[in-house]
Amino acid sequence: MSNDDEPVRLTLPLSPQTARSLKVGQQVLLDGEVTVTVGFPTHKRMLAALQAGENLPIDLRGGSFFHMGTCCYEKDGRHYPHYVNPTTSTRFDALMPGIVRSLGLTAIGGKGGVGEAVVEALRETGGVYLAMPGGASPLLSAGVVERLETAWDDLIEQFRLSRFVLKGFGPLTVGVDAHGNSLYRTLSERAQDRLPAILARLEARRSAAAQEAQGETNEQQRRKP
Amino acid sequence: MNLSMAVTYDLVRDVSRELYARALMKIPQDTHRALAEAERRETDDKSRRVLRFLQASARKSEAEGRHACSDAGFPTFFVKIGTRLTLDLDLRRAFVDGFAAMVETIDPPILKFITNPLTQERSYAGKDMPNLTFDVLDGADYLEITCSPKALGSGRWAALEVFSYPTLEQIEAYVIDCVMRAGSQHCPPVIIGVGIGGSFDNAAKIAKRATLREIGTAHPEPMVAEMEARLLEAVNATGFGPMGQGGDTTALAVHVDYSAGHGFVPVAVCFNCWINRRTTARIHNDGTVIHVE
Repeated sequence: MSNDDEPVRLTLPLSPQTARSLKVGQQVLLDGEVTVTVGFPTHKRMLAALQAGENLPIDLRGGSFFHMGTCCYEKDGRHYPHYVNPTTSTRFDALMPGIVRSLGLTAIGGKGGVGEAVVEALRETGGVYLAMPGGASPLLSAGVVERLETAWDDLIEQFRLSRFVLKGFGPLTVGVDAHGNSLYRTLSERAQDRLPAILARLEARRSAAAQEAQGETNEQQRRKP
Repeated sequence: MNLSMAVTYDLVRDVSRELYARALMKIPQDTHRALAEAERRETDDKSRRVLRFLQASARKSEAEGRHACSDAGFPTFFVKIGTRLTLDLDLRRAFVDGFAAMVETIDPPILKFITNPLTQERSYAGKDMPNLTFDVLDGADYLEITCSPKALGSGRWAALEVFSYPTLEQIEAYVIDCVMRAGSQHCPPVIIGVGIGGSFDNAAKIAKRATLREIGTAHPEPMVAEMEARLLEAVNATGFGPMGQGGDTTALAVHVDYSAGHGFVPVAVCFNCWINRRTTARIHNDGTVIHVE
């Protein structure tokens, strides 16, 4: 295995230099602090506040913001995770460009990728999109140490803005880099390029199956007394 | 009628509660086998690493009683009622209360996912929850309950289109179109259900039912089995791969089923994420409970 395959250990928030040094496809393990939510109402509230020139209850400028749901328990006045898991990032595609630009985020994260408008916003701010595996909560949760605070507590638990400490969280994949490269665009374009061949192969198999079925019918008729 | 031999409220409530809780913390055996097989087949190192991570997380979930995914989704049950069975209960109430009991007792707890589609309000209960589908099993003396929790991650990519006298080519191109639209986003490698024909509602239901079939089993009709095989090859040729990060395994299975209908042909396509959460139990007339999966 080459060194490229070894996860790089990074601390959040990423410095602009570190964010710009990352390449699509690279694996990263994270320490440091991240603010998360999976709430659509939360994203709307964030963007409305930022557009009105207000500060968010958790300072996210130049920081890290993940689309991740969390469920915590309290022990001795501190909050620890039962479990965490990402949500589909494209759900927030309409709101994320404004959030990324207003806050100058250097890292966002979630699962499944982001649309082109978010890729462009990340290119402008020098930020990256980090992809988490979905449905692998037990391993992913092992890298989350503690929840430090929540804001907008009128919302349900996973919708609140929640700030966490990570230690060895991941590995995550750099899905979009700070230079406008997107793993998702590459895969989508490649699939589009392959589409004519895929459909032609389906047609070939359909014809072969139809011929075989016809052959069997002929054989049955031939054997009739 | 001898009610000492009947399926009771307590039994259905407890079994449905247990089926949901277990579906969240266990991965079906056929998924385990299919992931291991996919890992052997993958030609790309990175994809193999993703598949290994998913399998390791699945094992940790089962060994430690942890939620495999944080999204518990909403309760969806397929209920088959044997016609030689005696029922002495309010069946729907037993499922409603079973879900409420699951919310109360599951550890770690689940979050609120049940959403009112008109107000976006979220809670642990809602109209028509749990989502129940009833069917009958002629001659059987048991109640078969399958729990298949459903969440947004893969659920939002389902689609249905009504065609007029479509060719197989049109039907298959539509399936591939749905796969292209979902791209990297539905927690692949997925299980794809395709329902063809019947009516609008029927096509959707048979697509969903098709996802419940054991991975690695083919449709009994050779013509449909061949369609499944070539669609699986086609889907995996797109290259979206495990977790949509590239690779040879975008789907673990494509399961197709059909119903006779009219010249208008609804084609429904739905997706289950890689875990393909599913638990099944049978409750027999004498109260015996058998966990099928």
